Amino acid sequence: MNVVEAHDLVKRFGSVVAVDGVSFSVRKEEIYGILGPNGAGKTTTIRIAIGILKPDRGEVYIVGYNVHREPIKARSLIGVVPEVSNPYVDLTVWDNLMLVGGIYCLPKDMRIRRARNLLEALGLYNVRNRKVKFLSKGMRRRLLLAMALISDPDILFLDEPTSGLDVFSARVIRSMLLELKKQGKTIMLTTHNINEAGLLCDRVAIMNKGKIIALGTPEELKIKFGMYTRISICFNREVSERNLKEYFEGLDMIVRGRCVMITCKTEDLNEVLDKIAMMIKYNKLRIRELQASGLSLEDVFVRLVKGS
Amino acid sequence: MTRSIGDSLRRVMILCVKDMKLYYFKGPTIVMGLLMPLFLWLAFMIGAKLSLTRGLLLLIAISAFFAASSITPIIMPWETRQKTLEMLLSRPVTISTILFGTALASTLFGIFISFILVIIGLLFNAIPHNIVLLILGVPIASLCYSFMGLLFSAIPSDIPADAVLLSTIVRLPLIFISGVFIPIQRLPCYIRPLSYISPLTYFSDLIYYVYDYSSLLNPLIDLLMLLILSIIFMILALIANKRTLIKRL
Repeated sequence: MNVVEAHDLVKRFGSVVAVDGVSFSVRKEEIYGILGPNGAGKTTTIRIAIGILKPDRGEVYIVGYNVHREPIKARSLIGVVPEVSNPYVDLTVWDNLMLVGGIYCLPKDMRIRRARNLLEALGLYNVRNRKVKFLSKGMRRRLLLAMALISDPDILFLDEPTSGLDVFSARVIRSMLLELKKQGKTIMLTTHNINEAGLLCDRVAIMNKGKIIALGTPEELKIKFGMYTRISICFNREVSERNLKEYFEGLDMIVRGRCVMITCKTEDLNEVLDKIAMMIKYNKLRIRELQASGLSLEDVFVRLVKGS
Repeated sequence: MTRSIGDSLRRVMILCVKDMKLYYFKGPTIVMGLLMPLFLWLAFMIGAKLSLTRGLLLLIAISAFFAASSITPIIMPWETRQKTLEMLLSRPVTISTILFGTALASTLFGIFISFILVIIGLLFNAIPHNIVLLILGVPIASLCYSFMGLLFSAIPSDIPADAVLLSTIVRLPLIFISGVFIPIQRLPCYIRPLSYISPLTYFSDLIYYVYDYSSLLNPLIDLLMLLILSIIFMILALIANKRTLIKRL
């Protein structure tokens, strides 16, 4: 079942087409990521999806409610962590949460209970009476996540949730997101962090120049677009580059001392392994370390973005 | 339907409390809402040789005007600058709800300042003769002024000083054409029509009636005009702010 659906979104800023015919659907209880370089149109897409920006063309539905025609109903069902927004810096952490809880018209005792639980889960309970202007960026980001969750929404939108954060804050947020998925929440996020997308997302849409250029699970994308295998071998002694080139002519190869990294088409893998065996035999080498892996999501991303 | 109206009112109240906490003690509010009318009044009183009671009426009239119209112009630019406006708009609130919350906070500020002056007046034996008109007039006038201030906040800028400057350019001349310092009868005839589109004219006239029955117009006309102007300013402020909202996001 799709809980978020966007059809043919187009948004122009003057002569710049920020979003160009984007359609997507987010299934219930999945983490759907939009991955793309800076300026790809991710933030504009998510701002349209939550009803902050009106598209020039296209429509977005959240659980059947049109975001732009029924914004209050649609936004009552979602929690949002926007990239370019802040809590009130002159209010305390607690007051910010109470404010947002009040906007969702939650009863006071429920607001208090949820605020306490969220602050404890996100490691902010001890600073609840501190004004936001005295918090670090990581703490502010965690507070924004708490503010998005105070209404216990079924759907969560996050725009670059861990961008610019320290390792600790980023980990807290990522583990919270995985925990939320376990609880049955649907999450849509944008990121330019490939590892994050691979780690968190059930499905990833790769976006560039306002268009979605690929969609699938991280594994599907790697299989579909990453038809290459990378072999790393470390020998017991150095091998000359000239010698290696004789065996692996025409292949991508990086030599570092006793180690060599070869990238080959997966369909040619048998042939390359035969050559490696031959080289070892003739040069009387011993293998100290051997690794073979498919391309990473990062490699797929770079190839796709370059290609588009 | 009833529930959604109730929820909207609750949201207006929540946003009003937020604005009261955040903006009552901000620099522009104190300077333009409290100090400015006080110093204007002092400057006038020193040369005018008015009785304390009469002087107090002037102070109530201009203080309510400045206080209630000092907060509304700064909130939208301030929230744009702090990037909190987008945070609010990504919740289940409309821009109208946010503006009504702002207007309510500003109105309450005007009412609070006015009634403090009324109480000070009581200490100096300045007793209002018509409490009902005073109790009706101060909130309606404050509401009118706060919506007028909200109109200035539509300027699509994230610099509060821009909105303060615009509101000052409009508010200061109004002081001199609204019968506060110079009676309307003594104004040049080509300025008098302008006096009757100024909300300050009707409130100052009402205050004169409430304290010493020396008004120019019928007090019910004053109240009615303040209500009409409140509605006009409210509609204009909502339209203008909705139009410029896209430039803020």
